[in-house]
Amino acid sequence: MTGAVGRIQAAFTDAGVTGRLHALDIDSGAEIDAGGNRPVVTASVHKLCLLVALHERAAAGQLDLTEQVECPADGRTAGPTGLAAMLDPVRISVRDLAHLMMSVSDNAAADLLLDRVGIDAVNATTDRLGLAATRMSHTFGGLFATVKEDAGPLGARALTDPHVLTRLRALDPAHSNRSTPRDLTGLLRAIWRDEACPPPHGAAIRRLLGLQVWPHRLASGFPFDDVHVAGKTGSLPTVRSEAGVVEYPDGGRYAVAVFTRAANPAATLPQADAAIGTAARIAVDALRARG
Amino acid sequence: MDLIRHLDCFVAVAEESHFGRAAARLGMAQPPLSQRIKRLEAELGVRLFERTSRQVTITKAGVLLLDDARDLLARSEALRATARRIRDGESGLLRAALPPDIAGESVAAILADFERHCPGVELELRELSTARQLDAFAARELDVGLIHHPCDVTGLGLGPVLHREMGVLLARDAPAAELDEVPLAALAGHGLVLFPRADAPALHDEVLTTCARGGYTPSALRHGQGASFIRGLILSAGAVAFSPKDTRPADDATDVVWRPLAGAPLTLRHTVAWPEGRGDAAVAAFADAAARALRSAAPAAAEAPPPPMHLRPDAEYWP
Repeated sequence: MTGAVGRIQAAFTDAGVTGRLHALDIDSGAEIDAGGNRPVVTASVHKLCLLVALHERAAAGQLDLTEQVECPADGRTAGPTGLAAMLDPVRISVRDLAHLMMSVSDNAAADLLLDRVGIDAVNATTDRLGLAATRMSHTFGGLFATVKEDAGPLGARALTDPHVLTRLRALDPAHSNRSTPRDLTGLLRAIWRDEACPPPHGAAIRRLLGLQVWPHRLASGFPFDDVHVAGKTGSLPTVRSEAGVVEYPDGGRYAVAVFTRAANPAATLPQADAAIGTAARIAVDALRARG
Repeated sequence: MDLIRHLDCFVAVAEESHFGRAAARLGMAQPPLSQRIKRLEAELGVRLFERTSRQVTITKAGVLLLDDARDLLARSEALRATARRIRDGESGLLRAALPPDIAGESVAAILADFERHCPGVELELRELSTARQLDAFAARELDVGLIHHPCDVTGLGLGPVLHREMGVLLARDAPAAELDEVPLAALAGHGLVLFPRADAPALHDEVLTTCARGGYTPSALRHGQGASFIRGLILSAGAVAFSPKDTRPADDATDVVWRPLAGAPLTLRHTVAWPEGRGDAAVAAFADAAARALRSAAPAAAEAPPPPMHLRPDAEYWP
C-alpha cells in the first residue's frame, strides 16, 4: 500500500497542502495510513464526538431528544450558519439542534447541546470507545474566540499574516480540541457497526452525517450517484478537514479521515478543499482493489 | 539504555505505522529497529505496539506516551543545538539560504553586513527556493533562510515581514510597454513566464489567482527563472514576466523593459525564518542584515492595509 500512500502525498502536494489521512475498511479492518497517528486539531469535526455523547445519554434515558430548547436571541454562540447566524429567538427540539449542528456545522446549536451534555461527558464517551488521542478542551464558541483574540484588532484580515498564523493557539493540538485521523476512523467504524450506540441511535447519527450540505471536500472525490457519502467537516485558518464514511452499492464501506493544512492562508482555496476528496478516493480505491 | 535514540524509533514507528517505512526514515535496517522497540517496551514495562503479520498498530499505552516522547525529543534537539553554539562560541558556522530572485547587490550587502556584525561566524550561504529551505529546516540542514510567503509556517520562528513590489517585464515594442503603469488586464493575450511551481507552490498559485482577479489569464504558462531564458521568451514568444523592482534591468538601451503594475497588485512578502526555538545571536544578525539589505534595495511604500477578507459560510469558524 506504499504506492497509494505515495499518491496520496502527491495529491496533497499538488494542492499546496500537507495532509494526514487514515482510511479503514469498516468490515475487513484493512487500512491505508498516511500519517494517521499524527495529532490534529479537530475544530468542527469534534461535533461528531458530541453527537455520539448526546445519543449515549439519550440511550441511557438521561436526556430526551424531543425536549424543546429555548434559544434566545442574545448570548448565543456566533457563526456563519444556522441558529448562529439567525437573529430572532427560536424554540427547537434537542434532536433538531443536532441536525443543525451536523448539516451546516451550526456553532450555536452545538454549544446549546454541549451545555446539556458537558465537555467531560464528550471526553468520557471518546475514552470509552478507546480513542486515547482524542480530547475536547474548548467549547466551540470558546475555541473560535481564541482565533478572534489571537487575530487581534484587524480581524479576519490579519489571518493572512504569517506572524498571526504562528501564534494561533487553535492550530496547536496541545491547546485545541484534538484527535488523530486513526481515532476518527475508529469512531466512524464503531458508529457504522452499531458499537458506539444501540441501533436506533446509531441509525440517527448516520442519518445526520448523511445530511451534511457541503459538497466540496470528501464528497467531491466521489462524483458517483450510486455512492453514498456521509461526513463532518472541520475548518480553521489554513486547516481543512473531514471525517466520513463512503458506501458503495456492493456493500463496501470505508471510514476516511483527512486533515490538511494549506501553505496559503487564503480563505477561498477550492483546490485545497478538493484535495480531501482526491486523497480519500485514492485510499478507498486502494482498499477496494484489495478485494 | 540510550532513551532518546529509542524514543526516536518509537515515534517513527508510531507515525509511519510500518516498521519498513520507519526504518527507511531513520536510515537503519528493520531488524535492529524491531530490537530497539522491544528493548524500549521492556524498559518501560509497557506494550507500545500490537504487531500482526500485515501491520503494526499503536496501543492505547503507546498513544498516551507519544506526546511525552515527542516533547523529550524536541527538548533534546534544542539542548544539542545550544551546546553546539556554546562549544563553538563566536567561531561557529551559520548555514543560511537565500531564494534565487534576490538581486546580486542585495546578496552582497547581506554578506558584508553579516561579516561586519558577526566577524567570527562563518556564513555558509546557499541559493535555495522556499520549498527547499522548508525541507532543509525539517532535515536540520539549515539554520536560517529568507523565504517567500505564503508558505506553511508550522514550527518556524519568523523575522519581520519585508515587502518587494513587483512590476512586469515586457518587450519594448509591446503596446502595454507604452504605459507608465500597466494594469494586469492590459497583459491579456500575452503568455507568462513564472518560476517553477515546486519552488514555492503557494506563491505560484497566489500570483495566478491575483492575475485572474485583475482580469489577466495568461494565454500560455511557461516555467523558468534564469534571466536569459525569460528574456528569450519575452523577445521571441511575446511573453511577459513579473520581476521585483529591485532586480529590474537598467531602463536604457534594452529591448526588454520593466514597468510598474497599476495599483501594485503583486507584492512579494519575505521573512527571515529559522526552526522555532533555535534562533540565536547569529540568526538574529542574519535576519537584521537581510532586512537592512532588502529595505534599502526596495524601500517599501507606505504599507497598504490588507484587502477585505470575505470568509464564506463554509469557513465555519468566523461569524
